Amino acid sequence: MILFVIRRLLLIIPVLLGLLLLTFVMLRLVPGDPAAAIAGDAATPEQIAQIRAELNLDEPFVVQFADYAWNAAQGDFGVSAYSGRPVGRDIAQRLPATLELTFVALIIAAVGGVTLGALAGAWRNSPFDHITRILTVIGLATASFWLAIMLQLVFALDWGILPLRGRLPSDVPMPPGVTGVVLIDSLLAGRFDIFHSALTYITLPAITIAFGGLATLARFTRSSVVDAMNSEYAAYETAAGYPRRRVLFPYALKNALVTPVTQIGLLFGAFVSNAVAVEAVFDWPGLGSYLVNAIYTNDYPAVLAVTLAIGLVYALINILVDVVHGLIDPRIAERL
Amino acid sequence: MKPLTGLACAATFAVQPFAAAAQSTEIVWGDTLPSGLDPHVVFDVPMQFYMLNVYDNLYRYLGNPPEIEPWIAESHEVSDDSMVWTFTLRDDVTFHDGSSLTAEDVVFSFERLLELGTGPAGAFLPVLDADGIEQIDELTVEFTLKEPYAPFLAAVPLVAILNKDLVEANDDDGDLGRTWLSSNAAGSGAYTMDPDTYVPQERVDMYINSDHFYGWDDNPNPVEIVRAHPVAETSTRVLALTNGDIDATDSYLPTDQVERVQNAEGTYVSEDESMRVMIIRMNNQKAPFDNVDFRKCVSHAFDYEGFIDGVLGGYPIRNSGPNPGNLWGSPDDLEGYNYDLEQAMEYCDAARAAGAPVDEPIEIHVQSSLEQTVQAAEVLQAGLGAIGVNLELVASTWPQLTSSTGSVDSTPDMWVHWVSTYFVDPENWIGQMYDSSFHGTWKASSWYQNDEVDELLRAARREPSQDIRSGYYEDASRLVVEDAADIWIYNTVQLRGLSDRIEGYRFSPVGSGGEIRWISIAE
Repeated sequence: MILFVIRRLLLIIPVLLGLLLLTFVMLRLVPGDPAAAIAGDAATPEQIAQIRAELNLDEPFVVQFADYAWNAAQGDFGVSAYSGRPVGRDIAQRLPATLELTFVALIIAAVGGVTLGALAGAWRNSPFDHITRILTVIGLATASFWLAIMLQLVFALDWGILPLRGRLPSDVPMPPGVTGVVLIDSLLAGRFDIFHSALTYITLPAITIAFGGLATLARFTRSSVVDAMNSEYAAYETAAGYPRRRVLFPYALKNALVTPVTQIGLLFGAFVSNAVAVEAVFDWPGLGSYLVNAIYTNDYPAVLAVTLAIGLVYALINILVDVVHGLIDPRIAERL
Repeated sequence: MKPLTGLACAATFAVQPFAAAAQSTEIVWGDTLPSGLDPHVVFDVPMQFYMLNVYDNLYRYLGNPPEIEPWIAESHEVSDDSMVWTFTLRDDVTFHDGSSLTAEDVVFSFERLLELGTGPAGAFLPVLDADGIEQIDELTVEFTLKEPYAPFLAAVPLVAILNKDLVEANDDDGDLGRTWLSSNAAGSGAYTMDPDTYVPQERVDMYINSDHFYGWDDNPNPVEIVRAHPVAETSTRVLALTNGDIDATDSYLPTDQVERVQNAEGTYVSEDESMRVMIIRMNNQKAPFDNVDFRKCVSHAFDYEGFIDGVLGGYPIRNSGPNPGNLWGSPDDLEGYNYDLEQAMEYCDAARAAGAPVDEPIEIHVQSSLEQTVQAAEVLQAGLGAIGVNLELVASTWPQLTSSTGSVDSTPDMWVHWVSTYFVDPENWIGQMYDSSFHGTWKASSWYQNDEVDELLRAARREPSQDIRSGYYEDASRLVVEDAADIWIYNTVQLRGLSDRIEGYRFSPVGSGGEIRWISIAE
């Protein structure tokens, strides 16, 4: 297992290089000049030319790519053309916010989706199963942008029980930054008041992102549990007089979890892309708005670094998913 | 909603209201922040908000219509030929670190701007170089221009005066403090900036500078803490204002939201005529737009009234020429074009008879992030479609468009944008849009060429008397409109949603009312 993890970690390097190359090529295919964006509205052609030279944009493509990859390998992702700050610093400030939101959404989706799916699968064709099916169809069909606004209207405006936007109240300072994740940092600092506040602020955006994924997971879990409940060992246990909930947990559910766990790994990617829109609606200070601005302004260093950061986290999550597979099913662990 | 209610409530330990977080001496400003905080690098409307609050300049625009007033300069003198400009500074201006602001800082600031060549440098590079900036004594600075340039004073407020010692102390490998200033401040303005609170585009807190030279006696209850927290989405912005979460929206409130904000309890809308002209550009050197009859045809095919009254709720003010109607140099008798499809058809027939390829499809590039540019293009598309001209919309972005205007061939047939108030002088509009020496810049992207107009605009640039200059600009405006160089649609009325806590809001087209020092918090 340890060898497997090390091998997979090493494989991340060529994956990221490939991702970098692909993004690099695609950025160059987009029309527009980042130098013009930096120079601003009142720039003269001479100013734009000067900035192009400073950014090495006049160099051949291969030289630009090699320079970037070499610098990135040393942790230097360049300076954002848009904010004028080192990109690494911008990302360090924003990535924890996006990861915090995405992981809380993953937890909501995983707990909610697996629970609903397992119960619906075990008690197939019961009223609960039908209601779950309707809910999952709604979940899959609901646009997150619309759901976000509806949640804001109901919970923030009409009922006033959850905040409308942001990550913390305007006048509450961030807890001392250890991880950048407010929910963790506030606990480490013993600031339970900030933890509570942060939890209320993350609830609506996390539910918005989780909703569609929760529905997907519920559907996958249900069909896996239905298969497991129809297997010979489940029939044997039922015949031996085990109650249905005992057959489901732990036996059938443990065997049925392989597919939903794979799905959870894939959902991470979907959640990050979903976060771009949801972060904008809830003013969540994550990578979403940063990435959108970077794309609109042809901010090459920022787009490349954000892509790398998300790619790295995605690769790590998928290694984690494989490890969890091994823990759930020892037969898989033997093959790793 | 019921399952969600359960989840949400489970996550909420205690039910409590979430609104009106701001305390009595602070406000939450929901307008956009600049992309970076270096006032010599970033040059756009959000930067004006930041610069006017954290930095000072020699002269400053106040009021609407804006008047240029001495700020940290007490006065200025100009030579008869408009070549030498001498500014005398006040002796009581201090930076936020307590050091005195002197002529040395002014010289450093202008030299730094010219060396960086970014942001507002474009307004000075053609007429000023570092050798022309001289410190005469501790409180006197002299600028010697390369050629007579009457709009120089109008451009002076673009330049923030930086604390030389502080910037030099934070120079990183000869970058003139650029990296450091992108997230720190070295100013003397009415507010200080707290770098620890700064997250680019997301938030920054500013605190009152009690020692500001202007004093605070004029303001009975000034804002002590400004929490600048932009709200990205329009719907969230309006909800946040009506919910008491923020005290001000941006100044481009969609017209369909105005009534909602006006009717909500505790909020109002400030409507202020600005100087920001919406324009549909035509590439005058590309067929069929190189034919004046075709340009007139297109000009008559745009439904001005339908767009302004129907689409935009009647808020903007029709503007028939390139200069904003509320600025000097704009002729009162300028007629402009009206929506008249019969006349459009006649002009198109004349163009067709002259061999212009009227029946070929033409393209208009819109900025996909700005809905209004799409709406304007669709209105024109409908008008042209009615007379058989095929207009196709192409989605684009600002960097793509501005980088495409370097040559006639790469400039789109048509594109839509606004010209905002970078400095309050007709030079900012007609001067830089229709003088052929500016060809290659986005402002002159119609590639208009008229020797008579060139002469008038260049004479206006050299002439010190505003009365005489005004005549030149009026004559040039008539010629440009007669040639139908572009389609000028409206002058913007800016709409900013404000909470009732905001009193004394003072709008100026420069900064769009974002100068917080004039605002009092309602008792």
